[in-house]
Amino acid sequence: MKISITRTLAALALTGGIAGVAAAQDYPYRDITTAVVWGAGGGTDTINRMIMAEMEKHLPVSINVINQTGGVAGSNGMVYAANQPDDGYTLVGLSESNVTAAVQGGWDKKFDYWYPFIVGGSPDLISVPADSPHDSLSDLIEAAMAEPGSIPAAAGGAGSIHHLNLLALEQGSGARFKFVPYKGSAPGQEAAIAGEVALVVTSLAEQAALIEGGQLKPLAMLTPDSVEIAGQTVPSAFDSYAGLSEVLPLKQAIGFAVHDSAPENVKATLAGAFEKAMASDTVATWAEVNKYDIGGQYGEAAQALFSTLESTFAYTLKDLGAAKVMPEDLGIEKP
Amino acid sequence: MEFIFGQLAGFGMAFATLVSDPWTYVYLITSVFLGITFGALPGLTATLAVTILTGFFGNKIPLDYALIALLGAYVGAIYGGSYPSILLNIPGTAASAATAMDGYPLAKQGRGAEALGLTTTASFIGTLVGTVALLIFVWVLLLISKNIASPEKALLALFGILLSGTLMSADLAIKGWIAGLIGLALAMVGMDPILSEARYTFGWSYLLSGIAVVPVLMGAFAVPQIIEGMRHVRAGRVAELNGRILPNMTAMRRYLPTIGRSGVIGTGVGALPGVGEDVAGWVSYGVGKSVSEEGDSFGKGSLEGLLCSETANNACIGGALIPLLVLGIPGSPPAAALMGAFKINNVIPGPTIDPEIILRVVAIMVLASFTMFVLGLFTARIFIKVLRIPQTVFLPLVMVLTTIGSFSVGGGLNDLYLMLGVGLVAYVMNLLCYPIAPLVIGVILGGMFDETFRRSLLLSDGDLSVFVSRPGAALLLTLIIALILGQMPGAKRAIRRLKGRTT
Repeated sequence: MKISITRTLAALALTGGIAGVAAAQDYPYRDITTAVVWGAGGGTDTINRMIMAEMEKHLPVSINVINQTGGVAGSNGMVYAANQPDDGYTLVGLSESNVTAAVQGGWDKKFDYWYPFIVGGSPDLISVPADSPHDSLSDLIEAAMAEPGSIPAAAGGAGSIHHLNLLALEQGSGARFKFVPYKGSAPGQEAAIAGEVALVVTSLAEQAALIEGGQLKPLAMLTPDSVEIAGQTVPSAFDSYAGLSEVLPLKQAIGFAVHDSAPENVKATLAGAFEKAMASDTVATWAEVNKYDIGGQYGEAAQALFSTLESTFAYTLKDLGAAKVMPEDLGIEKP
Repeated sequence: MEFIFGQLAGFGMAFATLVSDPWTYVYLITSVFLGITFGALPGLTATLAVTILTGFFGNKIPLDYALIALLGAYVGAIYGGSYPSILLNIPGTAASAATAMDGYPLAKQGRGAEALGLTTTASFIGTLVGTVALLIFVWVLLLISKNIASPEKALLALFGILLSGTLMSADLAIKGWIAGLIGLALAMVGMDPILSEARYTFGWSYLLSGIAVVPVLMGAFAVPQIIEGMRHVRAGRVAELNGRILPNMTAMRRYLPTIGRSGVIGTGVGALPGVGEDVAGWVSYGVGKSVSEEGDSFGKGSLEGLLCSETANNACIGGALIPLLVLGIPGSPPAAALMGAFKINNVIPGPTIDPEIILRVVAIMVLASFTMFVLGLFTARIFIKVLRIPQTVFLPLVMVLTTIGSFSVGGGLNDLYLMLGVGLVAYVMNLLCYPIAPLVIGVILGGMFDETFRRSLLLSDGDLSVFVSRPGAALLLTLIIALILGQMPGAKRAIRRLKGRTT
């Protein structure tokens, strides 16, 4: 911390002194700050600290990671970054959950305000407590069909990516569960272990330790591919319910972004460093250990991905009655 | 057996990592020193030390190091309170109030150095007793807590708020409950956890994310303390100190059973939600006085009396961390500040807490108690000099630190308005003899109560019987009802009559 403060001070002193010639210099000539909109120690924070340390190696300057939390769906941090000049010296660390900030009234911009870089995300899966009577997804779905809306299910907070996955599962399989909101993935998983809910939908990264510890029994991946974990194969739910491929996968997208209005040379420099960082062993090892899928999309490809997430999230929230601002008013198209 | 060896191995690993990291010592020595100074200055409490450090370090350095700083200050401050208790007859912290009963008479007899040597050793042993209890019971409780679901959590939170209100109140238990309920009401502000509706935000977007914990801690614990300190500047004469400060081994051996008993009492009181070191000290002192053969000499300079309170208040620390780590329920006011530090780092204490954090906490506690012991024996004279600093000099300084700490957590200027608002309310409550700790516990546990209570009803389709049909819930509900009924005038009279008959 001390080092980064002195560095920032040095950078400030430097910019003050040579502001006149600065404009002519190549980007970047001073340190970059990344404001992560979620708290220290969380997934988005960890990923940003890792990727920024890796990108630093390919840039002539340092990158300082700070946290600007609070607001609705991380709106404080996005407002903070949006208020900084679009010169590429302020980046924002964010995730797919931030696409709801606008419909929830946190700020007034569509997500294409940003030029995103996606590091990766962990795939969602459906699991049951270790002592659950259900041994396969079809078992569970049949039980839910028999008594619609009675089997309690946890999937993070209302309107979270996990909740959307649960809704998609219901839509694709025809079963209905009783959705019980929890403040995050961890409390939902705890509730599943305690037997308070019969199933939980969260990401593989979040469940890995509990599956390996034998506390949760994984039933199916909500992605097209099966996964090996703790000596067993978790099949894809798509194999048994073909209808799912129309509504899924809805995957996490964690990374960072710069203003879309930033100059082209800034975007190109960042993209160069990003590509080199993503190709490094550090990122590969990290993804393997933490059960993440590597992304690597940026620019228009990433914007397209986020725009799909944005419309899915926005209209789901509208259907749930949780949208403060109607997606139509923001110009978000129907999925 | 295998479990115990596993634990010891895990602890050994955590301890080795800690000892081999040079940064540990930087944070540890600074924070323990700072903690003792805070404890030694009358008017500054352990809660304040941990709260201010939470503001400064909470989310700026990695949690691993933040924990060293916070726990070091916690251990140091509880111990440091004994200096003014013994030398000035003014407790440095409420936790050391019982220490003054025997410490000051000893100092007047010219045995101040001996008393300080004893309290240093007693605090050291007390901290270790609490830490061992933490290492053992946290796992037992973690196993049980896996079966704790929403109804039990709701009742536990309510029980914690009520118990803290009952025991922390100086005169009427109902005043403590009122403070707890104010805290509960504050916790309702913001997005509701089940339906994501905004509540009591008055269209102000700052309130959407709820009442922030750190500004409330700062406002509730620091502001009234500082105003009070400035209004009544207490000048005492520091008693003369002759001889060297050394642990008196003969006395230690003689009073070993007392130390053991006080350690257990302290840990037990610490584990009760929201009941802090001051209660631990008094309870242990009271028990000691009634069971000891030398009970009559308590209050006239008894070494045993001194040991009772000083062992217990330090043992309380380990005890207070047990419910904090297992259930997210702070066992004492400084632990509430620690909870704030966990919260801003997104660490959720509970059955799925990373076991490494627990082992690290235990390792830090052990190292912190050694540091406290060494600093206490060799640098005590510096802390005694600190006692001569007038309050009018250091209290304004602390106010500035509090403000910076509160601001630096990152919530912006609004956090400061919140801090001042809560501070003024807390000061008025202080004047009216309402305890402040239950309010803070209410703010911290209120969110948990709200969320789990409503989720229980959501799961049961609105059927209230979930709170009696589960054995754990039924037990907790009985405890809560007993706690409330026990304070009713009729019940109180009955208890007094029973007591009168037996003694």
